[in-house]
Amino acid sequence: MATAPELLPYHQIREDLFRPLSRVSRRYLFVTLIAFIVGTAGLVAWGFQLRRGMGVTGLQRPVFWGVYIVDFVFWIGISHAGTLISAILRLTDAAWRKPVTRAAEAITVFALMIGAMFPIIHLGRAWLFYWLLPYPNSRLIWPNFRSPLLWDLTAIVTYVTGSIIYLYLPLIPDLAQLAAHNTPWRRRLYRALALGWTGSDREWHALERAMKLMACIILAVAVSVHTVVAWDFAMAVAPMWHSTIFGPYFVTGAIFSGIAALVLAMAIIRKVLRLEVYLTKHHFDRLAKLLLLMSLLWLYFTLAENLTVWYGNDPKEMAVFGARTRAHYAPYFWTMMFLNFAVPFVLLGIRRLRTITSATVASVSVLIGMWLERFVIVVPTLANPRLSSASSFYTPTWIEAAITAATFAAMAMLYMIFAKLFPIIAVWEFKPHPQEDD
Amino acid sequence: MEHRWGMAIDLDRCTGCEACVVACHAENNLPVSTPEQAAQGRTAHWIRVDRYYEGEFPDVKVKHMPVLCQHCDDAPCEPVCPVYATYHNAEGLNVQVYNRCVGTFYCANNCPYTVRYFNWFAPEWPEPLPLQHNPDVAVRPAGVMEKCTFCIQRIKRTKENAAQEGRPLADGDVLPACVQSCPAEAMVFGDLNDPESKVSRLAQHGRASRLLEELGTKPKVFYLQKVK
Amino acid sequence: MYLIGEFKEKDAVAAAIRRLRASGIAPADLDVFSEEPVEFPRGVLDRPSRMSLASVSGAMLFGSLATAFIWWAQHNYSLVTGGMPVFSFWATGVITFEMTMLGAIMACFGWFLWESGLVRKRDRTAPVPEVDPGSMCLRVRCRGNDAAQAIDAMRTAGAIGVQRRGEA
Repeated sequence: MATAPELLPYHQIREDLFRPLSRVSRRYLFVTLIAFIVGTAGLVAWGFQLRRGMGVTGLQRPVFWGVYIVDFVFWIGISHAGTLISAILRLTDAAWRKPVTRAAEAITVFALMIGAMFPIIHLGRAWLFYWLLPYPNSRLIWPNFRSPLLWDLTAIVTYVTGSIIYLYLPLIPDLAQLAAHNTPWRRRLYRALALGWTGSDREWHALERAMKLMACIILAVAVSVHTVVAWDFAMAVAPMWHSTIFGPYFVTGAIFSGIAALVLAMAIIRKVLRLEVYLTKHHFDRLAKLLLLMSLLWLYFTLAENLTVWYGNDPKEMAVFGARTRAHYAPYFWTMMFLNFAVPFVLLGIRRLRTITSATVASVSVLIGMWLERFVIVVPTLANPRLSSASSFYTPTWIEAAITAATFAAMAMLYMIFAKLFPIIAVWEFKPHPQEDD
Repeated sequence: MEHRWGMAIDLDRCTGCEACVVACHAENNLPVSTPEQAAQGRTAHWIRVDRYYEGEFPDVKVKHMPVLCQHCDDAPCEPVCPVYATYHNAEGLNVQVYNRCVGTFYCANNCPYTVRYFNWFAPEWPEPLPLQHNPDVAVRPAGVMEKCTFCIQRIKRTKENAAQEGRPLADGDVLPACVQSCPAEAMVFGDLNDPESKVSRLAQHGRASRLLEELGTKPKVFYLQKVK
Repeated sequence: MYLIGEFKEKDAVAAAIRRLRASGIAPADLDVFSEEPVEFPRGVLDRPSRMSLASVSGAMLFGSLATAFIWWAQHNYSLVTGGMPVFSFWATGVITFEMTMLGAIMACFGWFLWESGLVRKRDRTAPVPEVDPGSMCLRVRCRGNDAAQAIDAMRTAGAIGVQRRGEA
């Protein structure tokens, strides 16, 4: 389907999409500075935690996993943005995905890198994190592969490798075009990364085949990664964690928060880089409908989980359920329900209200809601163990808040650097093929 | 034959005096907590006494239940440790290897009895308590998980002594600190593989049951109480 | 020597390729340069690929290697945990799956680098045309005495310009 930007002349498209790479505005520097400050604060907080011990957090027996694990699941969830948009829509040949794929794939790579930091940050002796890796050592021991944390490790390593390759492959043709850029160090960078791409049909065929294969593989990996993260909880015998629904539940939640992150990122890119012609109301409309669909699917899984627990009336599980819905964690739970379902349903379900602004508002709402969802899954269960003499509460401290904020700053910074070095919309994919039948 | 260490605790004898808790602290170099730390849930008591209240004043009944690591045969804490810091040894003990622990907390989350404790900070003792440390037991650094070991240092020491004296271990030779210190003699420790030992006979008793047995963890601490 | 023909229409390129192949020029001597991928009908300029096979083989190989390694490592350092067996396929099956996928990813990427020619030893003498946006360039390698026929074939098919490069 031909939308307006594809009728623009080629040189105009190239100019529009390459323009952000050549200038650094004052606003960009300002935002980078803020991100740097917040990021540094987080690093200082982490340094303090490493020095003093995990006691500087709000963690206490029996809540041994808190904000860091919530952040971990949250960021890994956001990384499913790229996979859904890029892979599934590529496999189904949906044309509207074209301006959106690289932005989505970039979110995936950076969210994964950030998410993968948290299994290290949350460790009691974080400097020994490499003991989880299987390498021949002087202690003559191997890690315990039965542990879901080792499954996490392999899943995330695979997904990071796959998504970096999946981001890099379609970047190669654009890099070859950029290799004529005027700054010398950039020319060298682009030329090195472009691997001498000439645009011959052999190269194109190989690239398209590889992209198709990678789309299938990355889809399987993405589903498995968040399932494995879910199984960190589901494999435990803790009440309301030991649930068979967690695998699909978390994958759905991941795709849900991933799309929200993508809509937010796209709205910002559109405004800041002045790409209104390329990221149109049409794209946001489609994404908004997907977001609404995922909201309903997420609601279905949430209802299924909570209803079965409530109806089953197991005392240990009901203690957690009561904590979540009526007692201490009720504010978080019901805010989550409002932000994840009520807000998107109204803003995106009513056609008159479905605009780019409302889609962005709904996305921010969903992102906050999904963070709360992870919190409501992790903490109430731990705070209400089977032997109730050990129950307690959990209040995060400024250290955890600083590190969490720093990860958002890091994401912003990584993304901004990426958008300055590479065109955020894939130029070659976006231009219609020569004489493509529309 | 290998030993298989187990414990029996008679809840009808337990008075809730917590001598076992104090003895465990003294034997195993457990840190002392301040009231603020206790309010924050940062105390570490490898054995704790849970109190269950029934009825209203003045007809209140209290049950005291010392809860310690159950050394489960199918321990849920063991398979989830990614670095093998906790595993099951040949004598049926759930062993905690402090040097290997990286602090993933998974074992503590998976323990249904919540008997695992973490070193949130480097432990401190007000003077002159450091003079009282037990040289047979390590002082754990910050970032490491710990729990009741059935006083493995006493088991080892007693086995070595018996071997030196050239005699087999007798029932009642090995006494963990809690068992040794109980004034009501409510706790019994011994070899479950020896059918004549006191703990084996108590384990078969009609009053014996285990905590959270339905989870299939196969705990080795038997609680004796009048069945209602 | 090399001939470079510039075309504006995809069908023109296809026609030119058909004529050139009819006159005896091998597909290995033909290259089409463009800024976007160009789809030709089947039979015009097929490039057979083994990428799926390579990917699947890489996947199977790596997955098996990883599982074998786990089996060996669990036996090399065998500790009892939670009553589970020393090696249980299902307890580590997730890792088998992930390593299979990683094998597929690496094989796919590696094969792409090879099949595209990006990491192979390049023929530095072969000229790379500067392609204008919207055009396609067809590069033909032929001997000097075949050049005239080839140029004629391309012009008839609809080339807007043909250049000669290199020695005969």
